[in-house]
Amino acid sequence: MILQMKNIQKSFGELEVLKDISLEVDSGEVVSIIGPSGSGKSTLLRCATFLERVNAGEIRYMDKAAVTTNAQGEAVYVGHKELADVKRYFGLVFQQFNLFPHYSVLKNIMDAPIHVQKRNKDEVHEEAMALLKKMDLEQRANAYPCQLSGGQQQRVAIARALALKPSILFFDEPTSALDPELTGEVLKVIRQLAEEKMTMVVVTHEMPFARAVSNRVIFMDKGVIVEQGDPEEVFGNPTQERTKQFLRHYQR
Amino acid sequence: MKKMIALSLTAVLLAAAMTGCGGSGGSSNTKTTEAAATEAATEAAAAGGNYVFLDETLGVESYAIGFRVGDEELAQTVSGAVQALVLNGTYDAIGEKYPDIKDYLCLNAEDIDESTLPEEGSGDSSYTFKHGFDLDYPPYSYLKDDGSVGGFDVELCQAVCEYLGWGYEAVPFNWDAKDMELNAGSCDCIWSGFTKEGREDDYTWGITYSNNTQGILVAADSGITSLADLEGKIVGVQTATSAYDMLEDSQADLAATFSELKVYETYTIAYNDLKAGAIDAIAIDMTAGSFLIASDGN
Amino acid sequence: MSFSTMLAAMGEGMLRTCAIFFLTLLFSLPLGMVVMFLRRSKIRVVREVTKIYIAIMRGTPLMLQLLMWYFSPYYLFGLSIRGYRFPAIIIGFAMNYAAYFAEIFRGGIEAIPQGQYEAAEVLGYSKTQTFFKIILPQVIKTILPSVTNEVITLVKDTSLAFTLAYNEMFSLAKQIAASQTSFVPFVVAGVFYFVANYVVAFVMERIEKALDYYR
Repeated sequence: MILQMKNIQKSFGELEVLKDISLEVDSGEVVSIIGPSGSGKSTLLRCATFLERVNAGEIRYMDKAAVTTNAQGEAVYVGHKELADVKRYFGLVFQQFNLFPHYSVLKNIMDAPIHVQKRNKDEVHEEAMALLKKMDLEQRANAYPCQLSGGQQQRVAIARALALKPSILFFDEPTSALDPELTGEVLKVIRQLAEEKMTMVVVTHEMPFARAVSNRVIFMDKGVIVEQGDPEEVFGNPTQERTKQFLRHYQR
Repeated sequence: MKKMIALSLTAVLLAAAMTGCGGSGGSSNTKTTEAAATEAATEAAAAGGNYVFLDETLGVESYAIGFRVGDEELAQTVSGAVQALVLNGTYDAIGEKYPDIKDYLCLNAEDIDESTLPEEGSGDSSYTFKHGFDLDYPPYSYLKDDGSVGGFDVELCQAVCEYLGWGYEAVPFNWDAKDMELNAGSCDCIWSGFTKEGREDDYTWGITYSNNTQGILVAADSGITSLADLEGKIVGVQTATSAYDMLEDSQADLAATFSELKVYETYTIAYNDLKAGAIDAIAIDMTAGSFLIASDGN
Repeated sequence: MSFSTMLAAMGEGMLRTCAIFFLTLLFSLPLGMVVMFLRRSKIRVVREVTKIYIAIMRGTPLMLQLLMWYFSPYYLFGLSIRGYRFPAIIIGFAMNYAAYFAEIFRGGIEAIPQGQYEAAEVLGYSKTQTFFKIILPQVIKTILPSVTNEVITLVKDTSLAFTLAYNEMFSLAKQIAASQTSFVPFVVAGVFYFVANYVVAFVMERIEKALDYYR
C-alpha cells in the first residue's frame, strides 16, 4: 500500500470541504478523480501532499504515519524531519506548472535532486537528460520556461517531479491550463507512465482519458466520494443518480 | 524586539526634537550699543542657557538696502522715504517693537535734510514694490507664529510703500539664491539685515539704516575669554552670513587658528550643537545671537 | 576664485557625498530586508510596530529625522555628541531608506505567485533554500526599477546632510555661490548630480539587461 488516507476531514472556516474521505492507492495503480468543481477533489490532493493541513484523519505513505488523530479527534502531524522523509515518497504536478522561471529547463529538473537529495551531479545530469528525451524535449534542455509552450512546460514539470524518483505521482488537473490542441502531448506522457506501472493519482476533467488510462475512477461531489470502481463500470453503468447526472453533462 | 526599542526611541526623539528646537517670537529687552547684547545674554543666561558674547568682536557691519546695479533712482526714492519715516517717527515706532535691534538703529532726525525727500503719496500708485528677503532671519525678517511675515525690515518696507503710495509685495526667498532672485527681477531689492561691507560694488546701495556687530558666542563657563582662546576650538557659523564672510575674508587668520570651522544651514542647529557641547563657540551677529539666547531663555 | 580652485574645493565635497551615498546603500539594503521580514512577521505586535516605524520614516521629513538622530542622545540621555555627526547622518539615512526599501521588497515578494512556494515545498526545498534560490532572484528582477528610482532619489537627498553641518558637495556649492556671487557652483553641482545619476541608471540598466533572459 503506497498511500492510505483515512477519515479525512477538512474545513475552510465554516465550509466543510472534505467530509470523512478515505482513499487507498496500491503500487502500480492509476486512480482518476473526477467531479464538478468545488467537489473537493483538488483539496484532497493538496491534503495528501501536505499543502493543506487536514482537521482530522490519518495519512500514511508506505505504512509510515504522517498524520494521525488524537483522542480529541484532532489531526496530529509528525515532526518536521519525519514529514520531510515522508515527502520523498510523492511528487506533484500542478495545473499551472509552477516551473521556476529563472532556471533553465535542465536546472529546473536537476536542482532539487542535487541540492535537496544531495545526489551526485553527473548522475543527476544523466538521468535528467534521459527524462527530457522521454518527454521528447532534449533539444530544449537549455531553454527557459518562458520560451516553451504550455504543453512543453507541463512536460518539464512532470520530468522535474520524476527526477526525485517518487513512489507516487499526483496530478492536479494537469491539462486544465492548456489550449485543447496541447492537452494531447501531456496526456500521452501520462499514458506512457501508466504503461510503465507508475503509481499515479490524477484529478482531471478529461473523461475519455480517465476511462482509458485508469485502473480505478473516483467520483467526488460535495466533499464525499459518491462512487468509485472500475472505469468501465463507473462510466458505462454508474449506480448513483448524481454520477449519471454529472456524466451526462460530458456526453453532450 | 530590537525594532520595537528603536521605534519607541524614535517616538520620544521626535518629541524631543520638536521641543528642543524651540520657537521664535518673544524676546527680552536690550539697552544701548554693543555691550547691550552681552547684557541681554547675561540676563538670558540667568533665565535658562548660560551663554555670553566675548568682549572682543569680529567687526562692525552696516545693514543697508541693496538694489540692482544701476537702479540709482529707485535707491534714492526708497532711501528718501526711509528718511521721511525717521522724521515722522515711524522708524523709531517700529524699532520699539523690536527691542533686540532698536539700539542698533543708526538714523537720527537731526542729520536729515528735509528738502531732498520725496513728498508723501508722490509715488506711482499703480506701482508695486517687490521686497526680497530671507524668511528665516529674525528679527529683521521672519515668519511669525501666526504664519504671516514680519520683522523690522518688513514693517519698515511696508511703511515706505504706504508713504509713497506704492503697492507692497513680499518676496521671501532662499538666502543662497538672493542674487538670482534680484537679477531675474522677481524682487526689486534685497532688504533683510543685508550687510554692505565686502559687497560695495555688487549692488547699488540705498541708505544704511542699522549697524550690527559680529561677535563670538560661548558658554559662560567655557574658559574662553578672548579671540586668542579660540585656538584649537570648533567654531560654528551659518552659511552665507556676514560672520561667515568675515571669517573667510578679513578674519581669515583668526579662522585659521580654529581646529574646525563648522558651517551650518541655520544658526538654530549651531546653537543646539553649542548647547550639546559638540562645538565650542558660534560666530554670529550680536543681534541675532541675543535673539537666540533670549528665545532659548523663554 | 578660479574655476579649478572651485572644482578642487567642491571635489572634497563630492567625496563626502559619495561616502554618504555608498554607506547608506550598504546599510539600508540589508536593513530593509530585515524590516520587510518584521513587517511580514506572523506575530501581530511585531507587524504593527514595524508598520508604525515605516509610517514614521516615510511620513516625516528626512531632515527632521537627521536632527533627531543627532541630537537625541544629548537631549534624552545627556550623552556627548562630539564626533557623532557623521554616524548620525549615516544612521538617519540608512533607517529612512530601509523603510522605503522594505516596502519595495515587500511588494516584490507579494508579487511572487503562491505556486512558486508550493512547488518548492513539494520538491523538498527548505524554507531558507526556497527564499534564497527560488524567491529572492525573482524578487530582485521585479523590484529593480523601483530600487533604481530610490537610489536616484538618494543621490539627490545626500544634500540634506547639510542640516547637520556636514559639508557635502551641495552645501559647498551654496557657500561658494554665496561668497563669490556666482551661479557657476550650482552648474557644477547640477552636472555632478546628473552624471552620478546617469551612472546609477546605466549600472541598473545593465543589471536589468542581465536578468532579461527570463520573464
